[in-house]
Amino acid sequence: MNLSMKGIVKSFGANDVLKSVDFSLQEGEICALLGENGAGKSTLMNILGGVLPADRGTIELDGKPVTFASPAQSLGAGIAFIHQELNLINDLPVYENMFIGREIKKKSGFLDHKAMYEKTKALFEKMDIDVDPGAMVSSLDASFKQIVEISRALMMNASIIIMDEPTTSLTDPEIERVFDMLRTLKQQKVGVVFISHKLREVMEICDRYTVLRDGVMVADGYVKDTNTAEIARHMVGHEVTSIRRERTKEPGAEVLRLEKLTQEPYFRNVSLSVRAGEVLGVTGLLGDGRSELFRAVFGAQGRYQGSILFEGKPVTMRTTKQALDLGIGYLPRNRKENGIIKDMNILENGSIVTLPRLLRHGLIDGRRQHEEFDRQRRELRIKMEREKDSITSLSGGNQQKVVLAKWLSANPKLLILDNPTQGVDVGAKEEIYDIIHRLSEQGVAIVVLCSEAQEIIRLCDRALVMYHGTVRAEVSGETMNEHEMMRLATGG
Amino acid sequence: MTQQMNKKEQTILQKAVMQWKTNPLFSTACVLVLMVVLQTLALGFEFESFGAWFSHWSRNWINILRNNAGVGIVALGMTFVIISGGIDLAVGSTLVAVGAVLMVCVNQYPDGLLTSMGITGVPAFAIGIIAAMLMGCALGSVSGFLVAKQKLPAFIATLGMMKICRSVTQQVMQTAGVKVPTQFLAIANTKIGGQVILPIIYWLIIAVVLHIVSKKTTFGRHVFAIGSNERTARLSGINVEKVTALVYVLSGFLVSIAAIIQVARIGSMDYANAGSGYEMDAIAAVVVGGTSMSGGKGSILGTVFGMLIIAVMNNLLNLMGVPPFLREAFKGFIVIAAVLLQKKEKNS
Repeated sequence: MNLSMKGIVKSFGANDVLKSVDFSLQEGEICALLGENGAGKSTLMNILGGVLPADRGTIELDGKPVTFASPAQSLGAGIAFIHQELNLINDLPVYENMFIGREIKKKSGFLDHKAMYEKTKALFEKMDIDVDPGAMVSSLDASFKQIVEISRALMMNASIIIMDEPTTSLTDPEIERVFDMLRTLKQQKVGVVFISHKLREVMEICDRYTVLRDGVMVADGYVKDTNTAEIARHMVGHEVTSIRRERTKEPGAEVLRLEKLTQEPYFRNVSLSVRAGEVLGVTGLLGDGRSELFRAVFGAQGRYQGSILFEGKPVTMRTTKQALDLGIGYLPRNRKENGIIKDMNILENGSIVTLPRLLRHGLIDGRRQHEEFDRQRRELRIKMEREKDSITSLSGGNQQKVVLAKWLSANPKLLILDNPTQGVDVGAKEEIYDIIHRLSEQGVAIVVLCSEAQEIIRLCDRALVMYHGTVRAEVSGETMNEHEMMRLATGG
Repeated sequence: MTQQMNKKEQTILQKAVMQWKTNPLFSTACVLVLMVVLQTLALGFEFESFGAWFSHWSRNWINILRNNAGVGIVALGMTFVIISGGIDLAVGSTLVAVGAVLMVCVNQYPDGLLTSMGITGVPAFAIGIIAAMLMGCALGSVSGFLVAKQKLPAFIATLGMMKICRSVTQQVMQTAGVKVPTQFLAIANTKIGGQVILPIIYWLIIAVVLHIVSKKTTFGRHVFAIGSNERTARLSGINVEKVTALVYVLSGFLVSIAAIIQVARIGSMDYANAGSGYEMDAIAAVVVGGTSMSGGKGSILGTVFGMLIIAVMNNLLNLMGVPPFLREAFKGFIVIAAVLLQKKEKNS
């Protein structure tokens, strides 16, 4: 089935996400859909998958115009969307998962297990898939789950399959297995849209590519006619001249050193060092393992191999309490889930880390708690009405500052900031940049985890680029630019 | 002038409505006041003097409070457990196990554990009380270990403990002849101002202490933090396992105090039935008191109110002549109503 999308326009309020995008896919073709976060890839595919309606534009299947009001309609037309979080029920066998919602029943109304099993088996034989239809989904590894999900799409007669970053959580041999499956799909004349950040994989498996940037298609063509550097250039566009950090002091003694830190499947053999007064950036794309790496440093990720040295002394990080006592502060990503305690007020959120240090005769000294928080409030310029107000009454930027405040009042020697400006408006962003800069001038060693190149360039002295759990390279000075980081992060 | 008055009244009314909607403690207190008014009306005023009425009214109240002191204390521990995001079904059975330990220690028969060693009177009582408290803490720490370290769902862990404690106690104690010395009963029965109010005083003191613990200690605040968002709590350097385990130890400890009071009140314990249903009564009080079953929100004061609401309602039903079988239904009704009310608050 040939797909052709023309002039697709979509905006959310004042935000134009897609500005007249064309996209096409031939029968039996694997086409990569590329672009940075926010380029409009997901929106475009959600329109194709019937999740979102387009504001304007047409979709044609084999030359006939179609419209999809729901995922079910899109699926009915033969388009299956496989999301990153797989949609399988772990505690049911494979063959039952294949027929979820469309179970085959006997005349009596009971499930016809035999028919479902046989049909699944027949499909697996045809596709050359080595999975027992009776196996529990929970017993399969991530690649086979992916394969089961694809097979289910085939069972529903899908002739176009959209895969959203299918390899993010897979290991190399698992990726190969999924790619084999994709090659079989090609032979069966199924078209695949392959959304990915990993250009090396794109070069290996895809026939064509389409690059989106800021809601516009900026490039498309055959993979054999291009190379990763060229694609990365299309993804980034022309380089925005970024403000660079200027350091006034030389960094001091080494605060943190990691030696061959490994925790499968998240990160492998990571070695790095951060000194007092230094800001180290760690960047990469989704699934690069940087968050897990620094959660391990903070004692929140369980056992690991390799060694962590803090101020020159080897430490074994097991609990977050230990990290706090050593002088490590940690601002997690996803503020709502990890950063704030929604049932507590601003003051309590800002002092939860340091409560044990605010005791008088065993009880929390309310006055000192207030004074300590008020000092941070003034320093970080937190805009709020009363300390007793709910934390959720604050704007995202101010909430983030409160989370920062709770760590700053503990006077950390090392501060790990995971995506520090997530969900923060532009003004507050600048303020947070200033705060980070000021802290480093005061001699705090800072690690910034972030996937936005601009932010890394703005904040950091040097940066490590991670790819699939390993450090690919260190960039600084001239090499710390958007193109180079994108090339490294995509595995090119 | 009248218009101005109206305006002022309206704002007070609006304030009250706001409070009702946002502050569960306020709404619980309102319901309690309403209950007390109804109860007072139901008690009637057909007395020769105000003094006679008051003595009747206060005796009725002392009865209510004394009868609920035991569960009331258990409910205070349950409050911490529920705020932490858990539940403790083992309280009723723990009460029996702890009571058995206490009775064995203070047993006045010559072949009793301590009596045979020549320890009697106050030293034996002291040993018994300490042993009982240790037993309560130990049983609580088993639940705590299972929930915090082994990551069992609290419901399952404490359900298991509930079954184990009562059954083992009944087996061990089935042939043991124990008698509690009458001097021991003074712990709960000594009259103050001509009334037996010691259990009420214990309850009150513990409530005040725990109120302060919940508001003013790191342990108390950490319990709230864990109940509201365990992940953030952990990432804020809180030792989540330790605090969670301690919550169950605290619950077990408070059960041991309830057990001591109960044994000292009546001088015996029925191992098959004592404390049965305590877990549900305690949970009911906690929930009616505005503590959220999903954790993170609640108060000790609310639980005291919740306990009183249920107790006063029981008393009211009694005064109105509602048949005993139906009273439990009313209890169920008020629990459901309380949670529906809280749910509404959340949505608005």
